[in-house]
Amino acid sequence: MESIIQVEGLSKSYHGVNAVENLCISIRSGEVFGLLGANGAGKTTSIECILGVRKPDQGAISVMGMNPSSDRKKLFEKVGVQFQESSFQENIKVVELCEVTQALYKNPGNYDLLLRQFDLSDKKKAAVSELSGGQKQRLFVVLALLPNPEVVFLDELTTGLDSRARRNVWKCISDLKQKGLTILMTSHYMDEVQTLCDRICILKKGKTVFRGTIKEAVATSPFDQFEDAYLWLTDEEDSEDENI
Amino acid sequence: MKIFNTMLKAELKLSLRGIDMLIFAICMPVVILILLGIVYGNKPAFEGAEYSFFDQSFAAVATIAICGGGVMGLPLVISDYRQKKILKRFRVTPVSPAMILCVQLVIYTLYALCSLLLLFAVAVIFFEFRMRGSWLQFFGIYFLVLFSMFSIGLMTGGIAKNTKSAGIIASILYFPMLIFSGSTLPYEVKPVSLQKIAGVMPLTHGIKLLKASSLGLPLTNISLSLIVMIVIGVICTTIAIKFFKWE
Repeated sequence: MESIIQVEGLSKSYHGVNAVENLCISIRSGEVFGLLGANGAGKTTSIECILGVRKPDQGAISVMGMNPSSDRKKLFEKVGVQFQESSFQENIKVVELCEVTQALYKNPGNYDLLLRQFDLSDKKKAAVSELSGGQKQRLFVVLALLPNPEVVFLDELTTGLDSRARRNVWKCISDLKQKGLTILMTSHYMDEVQTLCDRICILKKGKTVFRGTIKEAVATSPFDQFEDAYLWLTDEEDSEDENI
Repeated sequence: MKIFNTMLKAELKLSLRGIDMLIFAICMPVVILILLGIVYGNKPAFEGAEYSFFDQSFAAVATIAICGGGVMGLPLVISDYRQKKILKRFRVTPVSPAMILCVQLVIYTLYALCSLLLLFAVAVIFFEFRMRGSWLQFFGIYFLVLFSMFSIGLMTGGIAKNTKSAGIIASILYFPMLIFSGSTLPYEVKPVSLQKIAGVMPLTHGIKLLKASSLGLPLTNISLSLIVMIVIGVICTTIAIKFFKWE
């Protein structure tokens, strides 16, 4: 299958400190790809470079065959993005934020439907600032899905959600996956990654320490559980250092 | 057009909910106009003048909303949207920065026009004001003043690091201009030295021309004033567009 997101040799440093080093990923159409790693491992920097919001020091990036910075207007008709921090105008209401976002796209989805799917219908008239953390999070997933996208970027999509809300979001994402949506997501929850992701890439201090399927990750490690394997993979170098 | 209309509607609502522009662009000019009317009454502008001091002041007060919206409101809203990462979110959508700026420009133009309309109504109803010159000429100059003041605001909002520095720069530009250029305190009652300082401000030039056109007087030294406003407008707009930062 063709590759929808192609990243080759992406590097980015801040003030001489490498945030991402030589990242290579290739995400196929219809795939859910998880970018994992501890806080500060470089997940968000990677996503922002792929989106063209940050300028990489090195590397070639293409999303749906386009350059995210120079083909911005065309590309983002078909790409939905949920950033880690939600940002919105002061005093704006849920319905207004949805209306404005919907107006930005040529062939948008229906926000009423999405709000219902994400259990936010009764909050339409509420100010966004008055929503709980989980409700805000769900609203911004709704906004990311509003363009009727072919590719979605979800940065920590269920952080701050309770168990039930997380399950609901998973269900929605799985449904979208069935419909052929390509998803690049980051997450700190290994159960979520196991449920949703076809393939993963694990970052540690900007370096890629693993790339492959969850099964392969478990097989690489001496453990049977993915979470243990993940911890082992992200911890390996340090324990080696300690042994020396 | 759909994008523009939807954004304009939403942003206008947000701006009205913020109420500060209602105070600074709509209420404040009316209060100042009424005060001038009460203090100076029907006194002639100078001995033997055919028009009153109040008539002479009308055009100046009409620029308060332009100054407040352009130099204060505009840079603050742009830098606020940048700092809150709202622009960053817009960046991963197909909308162009020009559209975002355009919506805000229209909002502050609407404030300015509302203020003008309200001031005109108050002046005509309560203080026997009448337009002696041509409305066409008045509006021509009015929109030039708008262009040059808004370009200053666009530039400030465009290049300021954060909301705090935008606020400081805006205040440094706004208050001296408001006080010295004659939009609040009449230019004519100021000492000559202050008038000279005010001469470098684009708003002073704008007010001079607006006054002359509202009073039906011949426009003198028009080229200098026009050049000052056009040059400032072009330079600041160019800088604002060239150095626009999403983040």
